[in-house]
Amino acid sequence: MGTPAHQPSPPLTKKETMPSLPRRRRFVAGLLLTPLLSGCFASGGEDSSDAAGGSRLRVALAFPPAENFSPYGADATLLSRLGVTEGLTRLDANGAAAPALAESWSRENDRSWLFTLREATFQDGTEVTPKAVAASLTHAARAEPATPALTGVELTAEAAGGARVRVTTSAPDPVLPLRLSSPGVPVLSAKAYAKKDAVRPVGTATGPFEITDVTGTTVATLDRFDDYWGGRAQASGVDAKFIADGTARTNALRTGETDIAEAVPVSQAASLDEGDRRETATTRTTSLLLNTKSGAFEDPKVRAAAREAIDTSSLAKGVYEGHADPGAGIYGPALTWAADKRVKPSGRARAAGAQGTTITVATYDNRPELPEVAQVLEQQLEKAGFEVKLEVREYARLESDALAGKFDAFVSARNTMLDTGDPVSILAGDHTCDGSYNLALLCDKTVDRAVSQAGSITDTAKRQGAAMKAEAAVLGTDAVVPLVHQRIITGVGGDVSGVQLDPYERSLVGVGTRR
Amino acid sequence: MLKTVVRGGAPVLLWRAVLVGALLCGVGLLPWLTRTDPALTVLKARSAERDPTPEALEAIRSELELDAGPLRLLGAWLGGLLRGDAGRSWISGAEVTPSVLEALGVSLLLMAGALAVAVITAGAVCARTLWLGSRWRLAGRPSGATGSAFLSTLPDFLIASVLAAVVGVQLGWLPALGWYGPQWMVLPALSLGLPAGALLGRLLDDMLPGAFAEPWALAAAARGVPGRGVARQALRRCVPGLLPNTGLFVVGLTGGAVAVEQVFDIPGLGRLTLQAAVAQDLPVLQAGTTALVLLAAVASGLARLAARLLVGPALRDGALSSLHRPTPTRPSTLPLLYGGLLLGAVALGLDRDPVALDTMARLQSPSWDHPFGTDALGRDVLARVGHGAWDTLALAVAVSAAALAVGVVLGLLPRFSGPPADTVNAVPPVLAALLVTGVAGSGASTPALAVTAVAWAPLAAHTSALLQQERATTHLAATRALGAGPLYLLRRELLPAVLPPVVRHALLRLPGVALALAALGFLGLGAQPPSPEWGLLLSENQPYAERAPWAVLAPAAALALLGAVAVTAGGGVRLPRLPRPRRSGGAVFEGEMRAEHEQRSEEREPLAASSMGERS
Repeated sequence: MGTPAHQPSPPLTKKETMPSLPRRRRFVAGLLLTPLLSGCFASGGEDSSDAAGGSRLRVALAFPPAENFSPYGADATLLSRLGVTEGLTRLDANGAAAPALAESWSRENDRSWLFTLREATFQDGTEVTPKAVAASLTHAARAEPATPALTGVELTAEAAGGARVRVTTSAPDPVLPLRLSSPGVPVLSAKAYAKKDAVRPVGTATGPFEITDVTGTTVATLDRFDDYWGGRAQASGVDAKFIADGTARTNALRTGETDIAEAVPVSQAASLDEGDRRETATTRTTSLLLNTKSGAFEDPKVRAAAREAIDTSSLAKGVYEGHADPGAGIYGPALTWAADKRVKPSGRARAAGAQGTTITVATYDNRPELPEVAQVLEQQLEKAGFEVKLEVREYARLESDALAGKFDAFVSARNTMLDTGDPVSILAGDHTCDGSYNLALLCDKTVDRAVSQAGSITDTAKRQGAAMKAEAAVLGTDAVVPLVHQRIITGVGGDVSGVQLDPYERSLVGVGTRR
Repeated sequence: MLKTVVRGGAPVLLWRAVLVGALLCGVGLLPWLTRTDPALTVLKARSAERDPTPEALEAIRSELELDAGPLRLLGAWLGGLLRGDAGRSWISGAEVTPSVLEALGVSLLLMAGALAVAVITAGAVCARTLWLGSRWRLAGRPSGATGSAFLSTLPDFLIASVLAAVVGVQLGWLPALGWYGPQWMVLPALSLGLPAGALLGRLLDDMLPGAFAEPWALAAAARGVPGRGVARQALRRCVPGLLPNTGLFVVGLTGGAVAVEQVFDIPGLGRLTLQAAVAQDLPVLQAGTTALVLLAAVASGLARLAARLLVGPALRDGALSSLHRPTPTRPSTLPLLYGGLLLGAVALGLDRDPVALDTMARLQSPSWDHPFGTDALGRDVLARVGHGAWDTLALAVAVSAAALAVGVVLGLLPRFSGPPADTVNAVPPVLAALLVTGVAGSGASTPALAVTAVAWAPLAAHTSALLQQERATTHLAATRALGAGPLYLLRRELLPAVLPPVVRHALLRLPGVALALAALGFLGLGAQPPSPEWGLLLSENQPYAERAPWAVLAPAAALALLGAVAVTAGGGVRLPRLPRPRRSGGAVFEGEMRAEHEQRSEEREPLAASSMGERS
């Protein structure tokens, strides 16, 4: 080896590598083009006006299909919002069961109901027969895990002569017609169940639109079903895009890429023209649940102190920018019957013991407003003398700790009508000793008695009245502080009409929706 | 010994296979490591509203055969993989292979676009140095513009939000949503490529003056080679040092572009793996990770190949010069200016209350009362930036320092650290955090550990690349010939040469570390609201980026100032060392530098001799 100074310098002396530059460039260009060639773009689902009349609707939905459009999970709501599936019944504006595929029904005895079907056809051309309906209900009842509306219900269905179907439950069930209104109990043709482990609602349902094509979890293409029993839909089809990000969904509407954008987040509402915003009060209530079993809030006096410290109107106006109503009770203004039947809670404890008490408030960030609500609560509670620590996580990582009582308080947004459409089921599930989602860990005899009494009533109006009494009993314990009742904001393009704004969030596109 | 550095042999392959195996096992054991019931997370991913009744959980357990235990599940999955079947998603029940391949294709395309933008950006960043360098006017000038430093510290989601809102929605020039054709690629590629390109450009710009100062450049000039040719060769001389980092960037973007995929609604691999990690959808997570790790292996192989094509023979023969600036950059007043600005803002903010809410004064624009405006809950943004400074900086600096130490130490052992660096870099950040949580528990130090576990990789890759070149330098051969032992070489020659650029690199990545720490919040790790930690400020104000840009711009500007301080002060982060003769290279041609060189004539003498020798 010579001295360093006399070594030849490589970049200039290695001449033979110079001509390879273009070759290399071609190679890189080839690399860049390969993915292009293999078709790495999502297929657009580009719309075209149909010759048969009516143009196609473009809809941006918030939740992509999680289970490949299985009708027994969360995708059920999606199918029903797009007008694909229907059940025997549906919910009307007053929260009562109304006719859908069943024209009428009657209660034969404690455990058995008789439903009379209307004349209808499945999207695959077959008739809706009692036998097919009974088979659909049986499949729904046997689904694993159980479809939410039928959880804990043992149900058998059979054709009962004529156009009638007999549905029998093993225990008396006064709200069966309400249950059957759930999107999780759709009526599908035999073809849907052909495969052993998956139910396919593609072209097998009864609604005004049928799914014709699905691209992964990004796009679903729907065509009008011309033989729909309720008349031909005005739009010739629907192109549904699933856009999980709220800002992106709103931008889709603003750039005219979509006609309807569901669930516009509060933070983006102001960026839409007022004419493009439709607000619907929903059955979703955000509340603060206080841990009644352990920690500071075991003492009802401290719970009362927390309740008194909270100003719900500043939450509705401040955090939700007015797109929410201040908490009135467990049931919000979306339930039109609730306000008239509300009972004032009694037997509340006197507030005391807030000073210097340290508490942990937990919430989740899957709904972006909740961490903001928690931070406002923190300030309000600290003004009353509490020392507050916040815990914000992704929901699935929070729930088991919350149910185990590891936090003193939990901010939660909950759909109070669940899937059953029955107001009593949320009370039973969330606030009784045996409740499966009892975040406040409440176990109170008065509450349990009031709830079980409400649960035994068949008449819709009376049942609602009893539910309000049970609500008062729950609120009397101060285990729950209702914070706000959310309104859902739907972005609707200027030339679109007939969007179905449903407080139960079960429908969106229907026969009369068009642009 | 030098040659073995270049070639990866069977042991390296084996080591890589062991790492991939360990990673897949880690993913397979994830729920059992983190003690999170997969039945619950799967149930919640399928339907957030569903109550976790014991019956529902039991149904999922039996459906997924979870009771068989992690090892059986993993074995079954691996067995299927050998037959080309990556299983079915636990959430949707759909086949994993097509969905992962589709997402991978989308992500690769997005990454290719981002890479193109990054290369152009890096070119723009270095253009000034190349132009000056090829005309022998480089020495004595302060190191490049700080604009690129600002750009490199901007978080990609912020650029994405701004581009989507301004170019996509308000101007309507380009589609802001979806993934349906080439014009949909522009905005996402810009969001990803601009900051990454600025970072790579800064690193390149850092090395170029050294290349222009090498003897061959001198010879080329003497021979009359035009400036353009010299600039091209200087690039060729420096790019190999960056190739490993470019490879890491390519792989990191393929699996980690979650925020940009979300803003532009792109069905890429980042979102797929994030969702799978959160829901513990193990088959999808395993398949996604495998794809990324394979991609990482390919990318690092290509990077090594490209480096060999560019400077291979010189590496083999140990015929490189050391890449150093001809003269240390002059101390500049800029870092003081930027640092002063930052300190001033922080000091002003410290005087205010960072948690006082006023929901009636939300999203107010900057005014005398609130110089930086207010955020979505009516809190003073200046106060939050000021109070968040200490938490953010202390932790980010500590993590960066740890990553630097680990990176340099491991970077010194390239054959050992190369495969783990690739692998760690390929793992989606959330998955890395989950794995670290599984091993270390969710203590206070977990977020720092999780970020350090990933952040060392680019620094190690950089160290290795520089070391490889440094070991092939002629002066090292000379020192060795004079009888220097390996320790002496390491301490007196290698480390002093490699450390300064790597330290500057670590400083450039400091803002990224702060953001990564904040990004773990949703797993219940790290800073929790209402803490005014800067990363948290950025993410909590992102939804309001269009309505209240000041609320995101303030913390982003603070991070950018930090980056600018790091870059401009970089010249000062040199370790003291003995003057070495070869350092003053091309400065001989510098008229304005003559005076300085007269004083150091004893340094110049041998080099002048060498260039004479080459010319003759």
